[in-house]
Amino acid sequence: MFGVNLASTLKMQRSVSSLNLNLSVRARLISAGIQSTRDLLHVSPKQLSSETGLSQQEALEVLQVVSTGLGGASISALELLQREEEEPKSIVTFCSQLDTALAGGLPVGKTTEVCGTPGTGKTQLCLQLAVDVQVPPCFGGVGGQVVFIDTEGTFLLQRVTDMAAAAVQHCALLVEDDEQRVAMTTFSVETILSNIFLVCCHDYLELLAELHLLPDFLSEHPRVRLLVIDSLAFPFRQHFDELSQRTRLLNGLTQQLIAMATNQNLAVVLTNHMTTRLQGSKSQLVPALGESWGHAPTIRLLLQWAGSRRLAAIFKSSGHMDSTIQYQITSEGFRDADQLEQP
Amino acid sequence: MVVLREGMCPGLEEGLVRDLRAADIKTVEDLVSSDMEELAQKCSVSYKALFAIRRVLLAQHTAFPVSGADLYEELLSSTAILSTGNPSLDKLLDSGLYTGEITELSGGPGSGKSQVCFGVAVHISFHLKQSVIFIDTTGGFTASRLLQMLQTETRNTEEQMEALQRIHVFRLFDVYALLDCLYSLRGGGLQQASVGGGSVKAVIVDSVSAVISPLLGGKPNEGMSLMIQVAGVLKTMAKDFNVAALVTNYLTRSGGGEVQPGLGVSWSHIPRTRLLLERVDKAAVFSPSSLRSATLIKSSRQRCHIRAEFDLKWWSRSEDTSSSRKRKLEETDS
Amino acid sequence: MTESGAQLFARLEARRCLKDIEPRLFPEDGGPNHGEVVELYGPEGTGKTELLYHLLCRCVLPVASGGLEVDVVFVDTDYSLDMLRLVSILDNRLSAARSAGSPSAAADEAVLRSCLSRLLVVHCSSSSQLLLTLHFLETTLTSRPGLALLLIDSINAFYWLDRSEGGASFARQEEKLSKCAELLGRLLRDYKITVFATCHAIRRSYSGSSSASSSSSTSSFASTSTTESDKPFLCRPWQRLVTHRLLCSKQEAPKNMAATAGGSKEQKTRQVFTVSTASSSSSSKTKTFRSSSYYVTDGGVEFIGPNTKVS
Repeated sequence: MFGVNLASTLKMQRSVSSLNLNLSVRARLISAGIQSTRDLLHVSPKQLSSETGLSQQEALEVLQVVSTGLGGASISALELLQREEEEPKSIVTFCSQLDTALAGGLPVGKTTEVCGTPGTGKTQLCLQLAVDVQVPPCFGGVGGQVVFIDTEGTFLLQRVTDMAAAAVQHCALLVEDDEQRVAMTTFSVETILSNIFLVCCHDYLELLAELHLLPDFLSEHPRVRLLVIDSLAFPFRQHFDELSQRTRLLNGLTQQLIAMATNQNLAVVLTNHMTTRLQGSKSQLVPALGESWGHAPTIRLLLQWAGSRRLAAIFKSSGHMDSTIQYQITSEGFRDADQLEQP
Repeated sequence: MVVLREGMCPGLEEGLVRDLRAADIKTVEDLVSSDMEELAQKCSVSYKALFAIRRVLLAQHTAFPVSGADLYEELLSSTAILSTGNPSLDKLLDSGLYTGEITELSGGPGSGKSQVCFGVAVHISFHLKQSVIFIDTTGGFTASRLLQMLQTETRNTEEQMEALQRIHVFRLFDVYALLDCLYSLRGGGLQQASVGGGSVKAVIVDSVSAVISPLLGGKPNEGMSLMIQVAGVLKTMAKDFNVAALVTNYLTRSGGGEVQPGLGVSWSHIPRTRLLLERVDKAAVFSPSSLRSATLIKSSRQRCHIRAEFDLKWWSRSEDTSSSRKRKLEETDS
Repeated sequence: MTESGAQLFARLEARRCLKDIEPRLFPEDGGPNHGEVVELYGPEGTGKTELLYHLLCRCVLPVASGGLEVDVVFVDTDYSLDMLRLVSILDNRLSAARSAGSPSAAADEAVLRSCLSRLLVVHCSSSSQLLLTLHFLETTLTSRPGLALLLIDSINAFYWLDRSEGGASFARQEEKLSKCAELLGRLLRDYKITVFATCHAIRRSYSGSSSASSSSSTSSFASTSTTESDKPFLCRPWQRLVTHRLLCSKQEAPKNMAATAGGSKEQKTRQVFTVSTASSSSSSKTKTFRSSSYYVTDGGVEFIGPNTKVS
C-alpha cells in the first residue's frame, strides 16, 4: 500500500520528530521506541496501533503522513511566469507614478508593508486600495473584495465613501463599450462599501485569533483579493515584556500571511510605524517592529514628507529596483502629485 | 533506535522477536550491545545463530568507512564550481559556489539576498544549462524578475523559456513543509527534476530563517531539533547528490549592537561559507541605489573579511531591455 | 571474536601512542596517552576544524615528513569534512618537508595518496547510527593495528535531535550518547586508541537570538577563564571520558574590518587563535594547563612562538 514511497524515504532515516504530526501522537510513537520513519516500514495500521496504543485511525493517519506527506510538486519558473501574466496581477492605485514604480500596481499574491510617521497617509493609501481592488476587470481592475483589519480605530467611513464616489465617477467617464456600461451598473458606492469586510481588533491576541480564522473565511469568499492590516505595529508595540516573544509571534504571523497571499492569491498590505534607533551618538528613524520583521514583507514602501512634498520610496522589493515617487492626498484620495509641484 | 521486527534479516523470526522482547531487547541497538552468550541462553537460540543475526543487523545499519584516498578521488571527479555570474561575488567565493557544500547569504531587509539568489538561478540555468531547485519560503519569488534578468542575456524567447523551465520552484511556508520537500528531493525528487534538462546542480532556499525563526525560543528542544534536521538533510543532499546549496539568513543585532547572521550559534556551524550582504549607503532610503557590498565572514578557502562591492543591476545590466519589459507590462495592463 | 592473550598483547603493543602528537598544544609531558580522550571545544570560527586537520595531518604524514604514520578513523557526524582543505594542508606539509632535503617532487603525489589511504572516513546521520557504527568499527580496530586515532567531528551533532526525541524524560534524552560514551570507553580500554572529538558551544537557554534586540553571550570569550557557555553540557558518561579539554577561542577581531577601505590593510592583520588546554592525564593526578596561540595560513595551523603564554 505504501510500498514504493516508503522504500525510497526510508533509505534516509528521517526522524519522527520532523513529521507534521499531532504532539500526542508523536509522543506515543517515540515512547514506543519508534523514532525514525524506517521503523514504519512494512507496518500495518493494526500492528502500529497495537505497538503504540494509538487508535487504528490515528495509526493509519501516521502511515499516510509518512507516505504522502512528502512535499508538493514543484512548478517551473516558466509556469509561474505564465501564471503571473495571466492572473489579475496587480491592483492599480489611481496614482500612475506608484503603479509604474511597482510595475503595474500593488502586486496580488505578495505582501507589502507601508510605513511612515503619523500623517504621511498610510491609512489613506489603505482606504484607497480597499476601493481600488474593486475596480471591474473591464476597466483594468481586479474586481475583488477586501478584508480590512482595523487595529487603531482609524477606518473612516466618510473618507471611504468619498474615495468610492471619486472612483465611480472616474470609471463612469471612461465608459466606451457595452461591457463597461454593464459593469458600471454594479459599480456604485453602495456595492463598494458592501464589498469591504471590516474587522476591528483591539490587541495582538485578537489579531492572531482573527488571522487564524481567516483562511476559512477566505475560502468561503473567493473574490477577496486584498487583506489590509492597519496597523500591524500598534497591537505589537505594547504588552510585550520580552521582545523575543514578540519576534517569534511576528515571524510566525509572517509565514501565515505569506501562505495566505500565495495560496489564496491575495495582496496583503500591512502598515507599520516608525521608531527611533540610537546607534552610538546618531539617531535614525527606522520602521518599527525590529530588524528581523523587515524581512517579512516582499515590498516595503516608505511614505515621508520632504519639505512640502510627499514622497513614497520603494526600499525593498524582489521584483523591482528601488525608486522614489511623489504623490499627494486630495479629497478624492491618493493621487499623483500635480505636475506644477514637481521640481 | 531501530525497532526489531521479524523478517528484518534471515533468522529473525516472530518467535525470536517475541523472546527478545521478553528479555527487554526491543531495538537493534539493544541487541548489538548485549552479551551474545547470555542472550542466546535466555532466548534459547544457538549462539551461532544469534551472532549471525547480530552481524547482519550491524552491517545493515552501520555507516561504512571509506578510505580517504577514494573519497578524494571521487571528490576530484565530481566537485564542480558554479559561477554566480557576478565576478565580484565569484572572487569572494573563490570562483563560485562549490557543489557538496552549503553557502549562506545573510543580510538585512533589502540587502539583495533574493536578488542574488535569482541571479544565481538564472546564471546556472541559462549559462551552465543545468537545473536549479528554488525553494521560496518568503513569497518573494517573482518569475517576471527572472525573465527580466534573462532578457539581458538573450533576445531569443525560446532560450529564455528553456532557462525558466529548468528552474523548479517550491513555495512553502512552514518548516514541516520544507522538511517534507527536502526529504522527498533526497529520496529521488532530485533525479526527477533532472529529467528533460541538465541535472540539478543547485538547491536554493530563500530563506531558511523565515521558516525556522518562528520556532526558536518557544520550546527550545523542538525548534533546535527541527533546525538541525533541516541542516542535516541539506548537507547530506549537497554531498550525496553533488549539488551546491545556497541559503539565505536574516541578520540579528547582538547586545553590543553588532550585526551577525541569525539563527544562533548552533546554525553558525552549518554553512561552509558565509557572505554578509549590506547596502553600501545604509542611511539614505531616499537615494535608492542598487549598490551592495558583500563581506566574506566564513570560509575555509579564503581569508575572511574580504569585502567587495557589486551592483544588483549586474544581472539586468543593459538598459534597453528593461524598458522593453516595461512596454510589455503596459500592454498587458490596458 | 575470541583471541589468545598473546595475540591481544601483540596487538596492543603495536598501537602507536600519541603523546607527542603536538607538544606545543599540551602541557609538558601531558600529551594524550593510550586510551585517553581529547575534546576540542569552542564556538564557530575559533579554529577548531583547522586544529583538528592539523592533528590529523600529523598522524597520517609519513615519518620522513615529520608525521607519525598512523591510521585514523574520522567519524564525520556533521558532514563537514572538507577534503579539499585537508589535502591542501597535507600538500603544504609534504612540500615543506621536501624542501628541507627529502625525496623528489615526483613522488609527492604517491605520498599524498598513501597519506590519504591511512585515513578512513565514516559519515553518521543519527546517534543511533553512531552507536551501531562504533560497534562495527570494532572489527576495523581489530584488523588494523596501525589505527591509533579516532576522530569525531562533532560529538554534539545529535544533541538537539536526541533532546527532542527523548520526549520529557531527561535520562532518555541522554540515553543514546551515554551508550556511545560507554562503548567508546570500552574500545579505549580494549584497543588503547586515542579519541579526539570536537564539541561546538551551544547556548543552553535559547532566548531567541532572532530578536532584534536580544543580547548575545557569544563571540567574546576571555581566553582562559571559563564562562557560562564554556561549561560542558553533554552527558556525564562523556564528561568522565574526557581527559584533555582544549578550549578554542579567537582573539578580538582586527578592529572594525568592514567599516573603512578594505583590501590591503586587512591582508596584514592575521586572525590569531588561542587554545587553552586543561589536561588531567592518568599519569599525573593533578590538572595541568597550557595555553598556545596560532594563526591559520594556507598551509594550515602555524603556532606563534614555541612557548608563548597568552594571558
